[in-house]
Amino acid sequence: MKTVEVVVLIILILALALLITVGFEHIMPSTAVRPPAEFYLYATYNPYKLREYTVMSPEAVTAIVWDFRGLDTLFETSVFYLALIAGLALTRRLLSERAEKPGHGLSLIVKTVTRITAPMIIVVGASIALHGHLTPGGGFQGGSVIAVLPMVIIVVFSVSFLIMRGFTTSKMIIMRSLGLFGIGLTAIALFLVSLIQGTHAYVFQNMIKPDAQTSMPIYIAGALISGTLWFFNLFEMFAVAAGFSIAFIVLMLARTLQVEER
Amino acid sequence: MEIINTYLLSVVLASLLANFVISLYAIFFKPHYIKKIIALTIFSDTANTFAIFIGYRRWINQNPSKVPVLTDLNPRAVEEFAKLAVDPLPQALVLTAIVIGLAVILFLVFLGWILYSHYKTLDMREIRRLRG
Amino acid sequence: MLSGETGIYILMAVVSLISTLAVYMAVVEKDLVKAVIYSALQSGLYTILYFLLLAPDIGLVYIPVAVGLIPGVLLILISKTERWEKE
Repeated sequence: MKTVEVVVLIILILALALLITVGFEHIMPSTAVRPPAEFYLYATYNPYKLREYTVMSPEAVTAIVWDFRGLDTLFETSVFYLALIAGLALTRRLLSERAEKPGHGLSLIVKTVTRITAPMIIVVGASIALHGHLTPGGGFQGGSVIAVLPMVIIVVFSVSFLIMRGFTTSKMIIMRSLGLFGIGLTAIALFLVSLIQGTHAYVFQNMIKPDAQTSMPIYIAGALISGTLWFFNLFEMFAVAAGFSIAFIVLMLARTLQVEER
Repeated sequence: MEIINTYLLSVVLASLLANFVISLYAIFFKPHYIKKIIALTIFSDTANTFAIFIGYRRWINQNPSKVPVLTDLNPRAVEEFAKLAVDPLPQALVLTAIVIGLAVILFLVFLGWILYSHYKTLDMREIRRLRG
Repeated sequence: MLSGETGIYILMAVVSLISTLAVYMAVVEKDLVKAVIYSALQSGLYTILYFLLLAPDIGLVYIPVAVGLIPGVLLILISKTERWEKE
């Protein structure tokens, strides 16, 4: 019965594709990109001709996310924070933070392999995050890779193992708030510096602009860091990893409403 | 040859449309809460894939298109980069969209837990009937 | 006979067709654990599609999020509520 449905589905898709080819030629990808994309590709690393509009980072996507359209990313980070706080507020009454009797977890082979691969996960995630301005990657990618680690530890060992080692919900909330505070400070760093000096600068400024001549350092000890991009990636990695750990620990510890006084 | 290339790209487009339709049907007509969450995940991911598919660039004169990351830093390579690379703007917008979709689904999972501990079931027809 | 461009497009078409199959199996299935596994399979196929469409940033976000974190959270919720979808 299922085979018939699957074959009918595939034939329908192939027929629809034939219809689209004949009738709708103008919505397929073509050999040219749109004009805003040409400007962003031209201006992402161009100290030769566009010194006052460039970002000095060879990676176009990270430059767009944190410098050209940086305000979008700021508000997306706050939306994520609001969703986490809302979930935490909903289940506040149902948490049991006492360290219960530790569960068994899985077998010894799985526990040994987890102990070996846990530092590797952290190193890979940090490398993806901190090289975000040179290769594909960035703060959010590295933070998600590191956030896989608490979930693996909760499944293989038990959730009491994590809490008795000191990774409680309160400490994760503190780490997340420190990450967000770091992002906010980096965003207005140049503004404060130029307020003290008496010159003109914008909020969220990275490199020199036509009428604001202060700039973040491009090279530190010979290595390219592209100004605020490296600091944004570092703080975003901490904030994202801590945020996901809070969600896992709270969801694993929630108990039913019946057990409480009701 | 151009017709075969256009036909293969439109197979991708037609299968994305089929994913849209199947997941939209599952959001409305399947009664269990967790099945609705799975279908919502598939729906938002298909919308993001559609946005990236629009930003693709076909090959010009048998030169392959490039990823939007510069590898050479001399001035001539920077000039040619804008003529060969794929559109980076949909990728930056889809990055934001994935994070916001993730936040919504995380919140829905918390809400599902509260719903279960109130009504003792996650079948939406039962909850509509009880309406406590 | 085959130029490189047509080869990449054939690979894209095959991956999208298999992903539609995985979506259909996930929607029809009554056991919710199997439905989550089919949805993770569909996300893995979408990641291959992202790499073929020359977007490695998005592929690097999508792999830990849609194959590791979202099925993990859904499986924790299933283990605390019910597992079978009735009728």
